[in-house]
Amino acid sequence: MDEILVTIGAVLAATIRNATPLVFAALGGMFSERSGVVNIGLEGLMLISAFAGVVGAFLSGTVWVGLLFAVGAGLLFALIHAVMCVTFEADQIISGTAINLLALGGTAFLMVIVFGQGGTSPDVEKFDPIAIPLLSQIPVVGRALFDQSLLVYLMYVMVPITFFVLFRTPFGLRLRATGEVPEAVDTAGVSVARMRYYGVALSGMLAALGGVYLSMSLLSSFTEGMTAGRGFIALAAMIFGRWHPVGAFGAALLFGFGGALTIRVPPEAIPNEFIQMIPYVLTIVVLAGFGGRAIAPAAVGKPYRKE
Amino acid sequence: MRRLLGNIGGSLLFPFVAIVFSFAIGAVIMLATGYNPVAAYAALFEGAFGSPASLGRILLYELRLTDAAPGPQDTASLAAIGRTLVNTTPLIFTGLAVAVAFRAGLFNIGGEGQFFMGAMAAAWLGVALGFLGPGAIPIVLIACGISGFLWGAIPGALKAYFGAHEVITTIMLNFIAIFLTSYLTRVPLDREGVLPGTEPITESAMIPILGAGLGLANYGIFLALLAAVAAYLLLWRTKTGFELRAVGFSPGAANYAGIGIGRNTVLALAIGGAFAGLGGGIEVMGVYGNMDLPFVRNVGFTGIGVALLGRNHPVGVVLGALIFGALASGGQQMQFDTQVPLDLTSVLTAVILLFVTATKLVELILGKRVRELAAGTRLERGLGS
Repeated sequence: MDEILVTIGAVLAATIRNATPLVFAALGGMFSERSGVVNIGLEGLMLISAFAGVVGAFLSGTVWVGLLFAVGAGLLFALIHAVMCVTFEADQIISGTAINLLALGGTAFLMVIVFGQGGTSPDVEKFDPIAIPLLSQIPVVGRALFDQSLLVYLMYVMVPITFFVLFRTPFGLRLRATGEVPEAVDTAGVSVARMRYYGVALSGMLAALGGVYLSMSLLSSFTEGMTAGRGFIALAAMIFGRWHPVGAFGAALLFGFGGALTIRVPPEAIPNEFIQMIPYVLTIVVLAGFGGRAIAPAAVGKPYRKE
Repeated sequence: MRRLLGNIGGSLLFPFVAIVFSFAIGAVIMLATGYNPVAAYAALFEGAFGSPASLGRILLYELRLTDAAPGPQDTASLAAIGRTLVNTTPLIFTGLAVAVAFRAGLFNIGGEGQFFMGAMAAAWLGVALGFLGPGAIPIVLIACGISGFLWGAIPGALKAYFGAHEVITTIMLNFIAIFLTSYLTRVPLDREGVLPGTEPITESAMIPILGAGLGLANYGIFLALLAAVAAYLLLWRTKTGFELRAVGFSPGAANYAGIGIGRNTVLALAIGGAFAGLGGGIEVMGVYGNMDLPFVRNVGFTGIGVALLGRNHPVGVVLGALIFGALASGGQQMQFDTQVPLDLTSVLTAVILLFVTATKLVELILGKRVRELAAGTRLERGLGS
């Protein structure tokens, strides 16, 4: 019996660890898409931030500078996306693809410049787990949920914050309107371009938190290509969660649970690859309208041109 | 002919601006990180196309105009061209996969997965039918095309009959294809070597190499050029192609004229998939001879850049593939000669992609009249529609 409880606790802990970067990036993607800008560059935003965080921590010796570097890098790359998509009216899908490629090539290039070698960076300080008194004592789930790194706790609060900002503030209303009926926002005297810049910038900073969690919490170093498709799973979580913070959180937990299963289920029973496919299959299922249709913001993907 | 060539000046403008920007930014990056951009680009060019002097010497010798036999440096130039051809071949296919769908108003991000499905078919059937020798080649290639066709038809059907946007479904199907081929390579088809991978295809069932010092370059490049011609003929010389373009140009009008939008949506993505699948098959049958894990990545994604740089025209796709193929092979030489990390070429590719659809930027530089020239590089519909 005890053994089962320990296993449940361990699976739950692994689920949270897998879900954390997905939640950050999915919430980020939501801000961007709710403002009308598709962001398939989440993968790249996470990757460049994971790298920048390690560089910051390496140079300074503290995690906080690493965090600052990571968020700064995420913001910078997101702004490239915003400038291209909003100001220069480039295709949003192409720009996102370019951001991914830029991060992949750019981090590999900078690895050589900064650390003198490709592959994996030296170890740096990381966000160690902090056990929350009392809460972490709850049987079975306590340690899984409340003996985690600071970034996990930040993830917990980010979900309600995102909900509040999107659905209970004037800013959120404008942002959502920009993604649905930009003409109306424009008519009301609010700059569509500015709202979209905000949305994309927020997506960069949130994706950065997901990236820095990978390199400075799960691990304590950067490895080329370490995001390994998580940005796309986050995109899937956002869609599967129907562009809603709570939905995205739930979807990320589900996908994180799938990830936790891959190390528990014997490969003879179900090969890992089939478990890894689940998020992508589910996303297609909801997009095709099975079990309640997922509908994107109406104006997402379209450049807005005043005329 | 006029349509084939189109408004060449206009067509080349966007790609030209994108490439110039990309190399300028690359130069700035190299200056900032302490490298010499001139030397690096010279090495890049030589690594992609060889040195003109060497090629001249080889030509003179072959034409019996001189008795001076080409030295090892001269043959290195031929090998460089060979590498560029090897890199260009799959990109022509994945570029066509994007371009054909684009003409029907669809964004095929699924080239990567379709490429993998074709490669998988070749890795499996190439071995299974290896006893047929060269006779296996056409059969396997047809199977690769069908494999990609069917994989491409899935997002087409999801779009046509369930309204699921093809950009997202093709991204998701890429991962599904990669995991599926990874499983098939690792378990049922594994040769049980040190690393997971399929059995090598018999030499006689491989696409022959060109020889003449061009290294691994094989007849696949001619198949790629044939595919580009076929794509052109299909789009502009057949009823099917007319219908595809009509749907892309104006879905409402096409529908009114009795052209089935659903059917053509499926067809466009499926035909695109067939091209990518063929590309994957030729990569296995011409270059690798099997499928190892991890298999070559990003050929499908680079194909998006190829198509856009080529403005979704088959001729442009061939040129775009050549540029990206050359970047990939030149990068190695650049790293070898000037120590600039090879990954800079990925950055250059990314910057080209960033700028190639930046309508407004080109407008800012060259004035408003260029706006109509952007027509071939973008779809005006959003993802929500």
